[in-house]
This record gives sequence, structure tokens and C-alpha cells, in this order.
Amino acid sequence: MRILVIEDNQTTREYLQKALQEQGYEVDLADNGQDGLFLALEGDYQLILLDRMLPKLDGLAVLSTLRNAGKQTPVLILSALDSVSERVKGLREGGDDYLIKPFALSELLIRIEILIQRKGSTNKKQSSTLQVADLKMDLLSHKVFRGLTEISLQPKEFKLLRYLMEHSGQVLSRSLLFEAVWDYQFDPQTNVIDVHMARLRKKVEFDGLTPLLETVRGMGYRMVENR
Amino acid sequence: MAWVTEWWKTASKASSVWRLTRLYTGLLLAVVAVLLVVLYQLSIGQMSRQQVLQMDSLIAQQKQLSEQLSGNEFIEQFQIQSSSSRQYILTYQYKTSEQSQLVGRLSVIPKNLSFCPKLTRFAIWLDRYDEIRLISGCAQPLADGLLIVAIDDEYLYELKAQFISASVIALLLALLLGLITGFIFSMKVLKRINSFNQTALKVESGQLSARVEVSRNNDEYDHMALHINTMLSQLEHSFETIAGITDAIAHDLRTPLSHLRQQIESEIHNKLKQNLPTEQLENMLVKLDEILFTFSAMLELTRLQQQKEQTSQYFKMIELQQVITDAIDLVEPLAEEKQQTVQLIHSETTMINGDATLLFRAVYNLLENASKYAGEKAHIEIRLTETGFIISDNGPGISDEEKEKVFQRLYRIEKSRQVSGFGLGLTLVKAIIQLHNGQIQLLDNNPGLSVHIKF
Repeated sequence: MRILVIEDNQTTREYLQKALQEQGYEVDLADNGQDGLFLALEGDYQLILLDRMLPKLDGLAVLSTLRNAGKQTPVLILSALDSVSERVKGLREGGDDYLIKPFALSELLIRIEILIQRKGSTNKKQSSTLQVADLKMDLLSHKVFRGLTEISLQPKEFKLLRYLMEHSGQVLSRSLLFEAVWDYQFDPQTNVIDVHMARLRKKVEFDGLTPLLETVRGMGYRMVENR
Repeated sequence: MAWVTEWWKTASKASSVWRLTRLYTGLLLAVVAVLLVVLYQLSIGQMSRQQVLQMDSLIAQQKQLSEQLSGNEFIEQFQIQSSSSRQYILTYQYKTSEQSQLVGRLSVIPKNLSFCPKLTRFAIWLDRYDEIRLISGCAQPLADGLLIVAIDDEYLYELKAQFISASVIALLLALLLGLITGFIFSMKVLKRINSFNQTALKVESGQLSARVEVSRNNDEYDHMALHINTMLSQLEHSFETIAGITDAIAHDLRTPLSHLRQQIESEIHNKLKQNLPTEQLENMLVKLDEILFTFSAMLELTRLQQQKEQTSQYFKMIELQQVITDAIDLVEPLAEEKQQTVQLIHSETTMINGDATLLFRAVYNLLENASKYAGEKAHIEIRLTETGFIISDNGPGISDEEKEKVFQRLYRIEKSRQVSGFGLGLTLVKAIIQLHNGQIQLLDNNPGLSVHIKF
């Protein structure tokens, strides 16, 4: 797994390199847009971390040149510019995700994993049922069963559980869960997602059944088959 | 009658235009009335006074004659006098042994004739005009009979009648003129004052770049406008400087703080690997995130307030109801924890050209605030209207003076300080609403707070 990091700030660049290498990724670095674009076009990367503001060639210019050249490598844009127009511009130019600086490393790692996995799973055949342990979800009839007991869920709870089940085994951050279920791009910054998770948990893990939803401290939540 | 008094009450309380117009018209009418009275006294009044004086002297003369002359001598001189007097119609009634005799122009004494100097009007046939005319006369008892003096003053009456109708017309014209010119002048003044008012309102709503219109007249209003504009420019400049400083601080501190965040995060990683406790570091991280969040929110606010055009190019048509339903879905478990009810009332499909995420944040912020501050078991209602929406709760509400302040950056109501927050929520909501060319207003819900949003 190779990741290209295009970032002009040395502290951040080294920090990202170290953190990603610890996770077992191979990391290539570029400190300006020109070098970054050259590496991105020549090399074979699973993901590119692209800073929005770069010397020599702007982040957005790198992205559009890359896409025009037919490279579909997933790009995660890192930016200190948190405004509607910047985000829309970034995603319109072909960015796959947008993370605002300063970000939590856990959040970045979770999103990198999701992006790499998404790229790999696009060719996979979509199944109409999801299953984790004895929890079954029928995507067509929108019915959820724990063993033989049907669980009634509200639409948003259904979406939340579906996202957790689709990414079972992966740690999912609160903001990622929020974006997936509500489809608005911002961090609610409150414990509201925890409250939603607590409610979902009550419905899924009733009567002392085996817990399926795990809280990962400082990171988020994970759906697990065996504990 | 009731509506007249009602109208008067409201009219007298109404705008200064009406008051100025009334004052002006009143003065104009008074001047015209005084002029008319003076004119009357100098013309018709003078004439009738003259007439009364002449009549009085005639009566006095005849009275004296009747006392000096014997009965027959008096009658003789009276006959000459009455036939020679062109102006006066004179008649003398005296008694012989059997009956009363009349000498002079009248062939009969009119009934109900009053004694001089009070005049009575009566009709006679006048040969001179060959018609019946109304004349004024009175009776004066003399030594041996009754003197009747009358004067043909119909022309004076006609003159009086004409003067009165002319006066009425003059007064009506003055009233009309007064109302029209008064209204026009007052409207001009009011228009100027209104332009001041509108600018003040704009500034109040946060549009510091608003300026008062300056005309070319270079009058007192223009001087005032220039002073106010200068004051506003200085204020705007100061505000920009202050906002710029806070933003610069937030921006400059963000980089070292994010590096600090990275270091703490790496340290947590290291400790976790060695199975060491990380709680203290995690608490530091939470505090640091709060600071970073506040800085980001402040910077975002400035961008929302300043980069209106850049942001609005990315606007799309959005169904407001969908955004609101999503926000309710998010806030609902928070309300449930406090046993609050959240109800959506909608009959309208309101489409808005805007940014869904920003609008969602505004609605969610307002709902979260309602849930936070309305208290246990409160009822929160969100009502879609034709042009926006209204969020009301039946909690304790907020006082009028605080309704203004809650929109200020970093302002927090004293009693809400124990509830977590940064004092940026409502400021952000207002910035988002204004970005969408909307208005936000806080009103009393009796009890509770009602937030009105109009696009």
C-alpha cells in the first residue's frame, strides 16, 4: 500500500509520514505542487493526501491535471480553508474526501482506510443482505433481525446500522458516521452521535445479547463479530 | 361618532407629517381668518356703523324738533323732510281726537316693529325701484307721536352675504392649500428622516457599510448625514480592525496549536503501545480541541460574513422541509433524554436557494439551543411558513435586552454559563441566515422563546 503525501509544511509532512508508516503504509513525500503532480502521474499509489495550498502549483490545479490525465487515484484533500466554496471546489475537481486542518490523526487514518477500501469494493457484487454475527439486514425490505427477533428501526437508525455493518471490523469516527447518515459535511462537535449510538445499541443489544457495537476510545465506533 | 374619535386618536399619534401638516394648516387658517375679520370691520362693519350713527343723529334731530316745534309745525317740517330725504324712509304717526294719522312715505305701520336703536327688517313696495324691497327700520316715540325711521340697506345685506360666502371660499381654499403644501413639505422632511432611519436599521442588522444619502442641497440634513457617515466609516474601520486582529490571532495560533495537537496524539500512540495510561493526555486533547474549534468557528464566521458572493455562487435550490426533518432527526434523541417533544408543523413547500449544510447547521443549532435551554418536558415546535420557518419552545425564554446581545460573538447569557457552549452558535446562525438574504428575529412565545426566520 503506497500513499503519496503532498504537503509543504515540514512538521505536518514528517508527522504524516511517521504516522502512516506506523500503520504499515509506504509513504512518498513531495513538498510542492510540481513535484507532487510528477510523482502522482508517474507512480502507482493507492491514495494521495493533497494539501490545498501549495507552492509552485496549487492543490486544486494538481488535482484537475491528474484527473484530466485519466488518473483515478483516490485523493483526500487536506485544507485549512474551511468554507463552503472551498469544499465544493475541491470535490468538484475530483477530490474524494475533504479534511479540515487541524484534524485528528485517528480521523485521517479512518478516512484513508475507507477510501482505499471503497476503491477496492467498487467492483464487488452488491448483496441484498448484510450480516454480522446473528444480526441480519435485508436491504430490499428494510427489515432487521437479531436472531429471530425483528428489530424496528427509524430510517436514520437503519442508515446508521447499515453503514456500521457495511464497514464491520473498521473503526468509524463520529463525524464519518454523521456524514454517512445525514449527508451533510461538517463536524457537529457535540456528543449527539454518541446519543444516537446509545439508542441504536439499546435496540440491537437487547436482553444481554452479545454486544456487537464497540466504542473505540478517542476514535469512534466499530462493529465487531467476535469479542 | 365612535370612529371619528378613534380616527382622531390614531391620527394624532401617527407620524410627524400629520402633526406638522395640522400645525401649518391651523396657522394658515388663523391668518386668513384674522385678515377676513379685519377686512370686514374696515368695509362692511364701517358702513353699517356709519349708517347707525347717521340714523341716530336723524332720530335725535327729529326728537329735538318735536320738542321745540308745535304739533302742526313739526308735521309740516316732517313732510318736507320725508319727501326730500332720498336715503331714509321717514314716517310719523300721531293721534288726532278720533284716529291715528300717518305722515310720510309708509302707508301702514309694520307689525312687531321694535323701538330704536334695535332694527327690524320688513318688506315694502318702493316706487323708486318698482319692486318689493327688504328694509330695516325702528320706531322712536316722540312727544306727540311715533317716529318710524327706515333705511333701504338691502345692498348692505347683499354685500354681507357675498362677503360671507367669499370668506367661506377663502377659508376652504386656505385649508386645501395648507393641507397640500403642508403635506408636501412634511413628506420631504420625513423622507430625509426616513433615509436616516433606514440606514440606522441596516447598521443595526449588522450591515456596517450602509451610509445615509447626501443630497446636493447642502442643508442641515446633509450636514447631519455627512457627520453620521463619517462616524459610521470610523466605526466600520474599527470593527474591521478588531475582527481582523481576532482573526489574525486565531489564524496564527492555529498552526502551532495543531502541531501541539499532533505531538499529543503521537504521545498517546506511544503510551498506548507501551500499555501506559493516556487519560491525562486525552483530557489535554479534549481541551485543545475546544480551543481549536472556537478558533475555527471564529474564522468561519468572518468568512461567512465577508465572502458572501464567493459562497453564494455555489448555492443550489434546496427543499427547506428536508433540511428541517434531518435536523429534527439529529436532535430528537437529545430531546428524548430530557423528555421533550419536538413537533414539525408544515403546510408549505418552501424552496430556498442556498447551501444545504449551512442551512442544516443553522436549523440544528437553533433546535439544539431550544433543547438545551427550554428545560425538562418542554415542547419544541418548528413551523414551516411560506417564506421561512419558526422555532418556538415553552421554556423560560430570554429577556428583551438579551435578545439583541445573544447574536454577538462570544456573548453568553449569565445563567447559561454552566451549559457547555462557546457563545458562537447564534452568531453563526445569524451569519448563515444573512448569507441566504434572510432575517432572524427573537420574539416572546409567552412563555418561552420564538425564533422567526424569514428568507
